[in-house]
Amino acid sequence: MSRMSCVGSWALASILLAGTALAGQAASPAGAAAPADASPAPAGAAAAGATAPAASAASSADAAPAPAAESSSAEFKTLDQEVQGLKKDVIDLNKDLFVLEEELLFPANTQVAVYVSMDVGAFFALDSVTVKIDNREVKNYLYTAREADALLKGGVQQIYLGNLKVGKHELVAFFTGKGPVERNYRRGATIKFEKGVGAKYLELKITDKVPKHQPEFTIKDWE
Amino acid sequence: MRSARPGRCARRLTLAVGLLGCVVQMHAALAVAPPPIVGKDAPDFVAKTIDGSNLRLSEFRGQVVLVNFWARWASDSRQEMPALSRINQTYERAGLKVIGISIDDDLVRARAFADAMKLSYPVMLDAGPQIGRDYQLGKMPMTILVDRSGVIRYAHVGYRRGDDRVFLDHIRELLRE
Repeated sequence: MSRMSCVGSWALASILLAGTALAGQAASPAGAAAPADASPAPAGAAAAGATAPAASAASSADAAPAPAAESSSAEFKTLDQEVQGLKKDVIDLNKDLFVLEEELLFPANTQVAVYVSMDVGAFFALDSVTVKIDNREVKNYLYTAREADALLKGGVQQIYLGNLKVGKHELVAFFTGKGPVERNYRRGATIKFEKGVGAKYLELKITDKVPKHQPEFTIKDWE
Repeated sequence: MRSARPGRCARRLTLAVGLLGCVVQMHAALAVAPPPIVGKDAPDFVAKTIDGSNLRLSEFRGQVVLVNFWARWASDSRQEMPALSRINQTYERAGLKVIGISIDDDLVRARAFADAMKLSYPVMLDAGPQIGRDYQLGKMPMTILVDRSGVIRYAHVGYRRGDDRVFLDHIRELLRE
C-alpha cells in the first residue's frame, strides 16, 4: 500500500515538474530556443531569459541545478510527510483493532486480567511467574533481565488475560528467582475472589519487607 | 541368444545404477531441504541459558540473529559450533547476535558439552519441545538467520566443511541492509 502511495507521489511529482517546465517555456520569449535539458528550470531562469535572450540558454542551463535540487528536496519532504501520515494511520488502525479484538474475545462480563508489579526488589531478583486459576496453569512466564529491570523501574505487566464464569474462583501465583544472599527462592501467594458481572483485575505485587530482609508477595484484588 | 544375454544384463545393471542414483539424490535433496519457514516472521521464544539467565528472541529486534539448533548426538554440531563461535567474535560488534539452542533431552550433559566447547555466544536449553516445534525442526543441526525486522531470511540444515562461508555471505548481506 505504501509502495503504491510512493509510486503515486512520484507520478504526481513528475506531472508537477512537467507543468513547471511548460510554464517556464511559455513565459520565455526564447522558449523555443531553450535547450531540452534546461526544461526543469523554473520561472526564475525563464525570467532571466526574457531580459537577455541571447544568453538565456546558457544562463538557464547554469542556474538549473540549484532550483532542481530545491524542488527535489521539497518532493522528498512531501513524500516524508505522506509516509509519516501513513504510519500514523497504521498505528491508529492497529489500536482500533486491538480494542475491538479485546472486546470480542474478552467481554467485560467474563474478563479476568492479571498484572505483575514490583517495588524496590532489593531482596528478590525475579526469574519467572506461574499463574494457576482454579488449579489449572494458565501462564508460565520467564523474565529476561531487561523485563525485570522494566518492572523495577515501575512498569506493570499484563501477564494474563482470559475469561472466567461468574462465581467464586481461586488464583495461585508462584514466584521464582534469586532471594537474599543469591539463594534460589520460590514462594507462592493465593487469593480467593468472586467474579461478578464486570471485568476482574488482579495484581501480583512483589515488595520488599525491610524489617525481615525478605521479599513479600501479595495479590491485590482491584474491584 | 547367447550374445544377447550380456547386453541385457548390462542394460539392467545400468538401469539399476541409474535408479539407485536417482533415489540417493532424491533422499539427499529431501534430507537437507530447509523447513518452509523462510520468509515468515521468526516465532518468538524465551528460554534459560546455561549460565542461568533468560533470553527472548524479540529483544534482539534490530540486530541480525543467527539461531543454531544443535544436539550433542549430532556429529555435525561439533564441527559447526567452533566456526559459529568465530563468526560471533568477528561480527558481534557489527550487529550480529548468535544464539545456540540445544534440543537435548539430557540437559545436564548438554550443559557440560556446551561448557566444554567454550563458545563465545549464549547457549539456551529447550527443555520443552516447543521451540523446535515452532521452527519445524527435522534433521540436526539447523541454522537460521533472522533479519533486523524479525523475518527468517535463510535456513540451513546440516553442516559440511565450508558451510560457514555461506553463512558469512548471508550475514554480511543482512548486516548491510
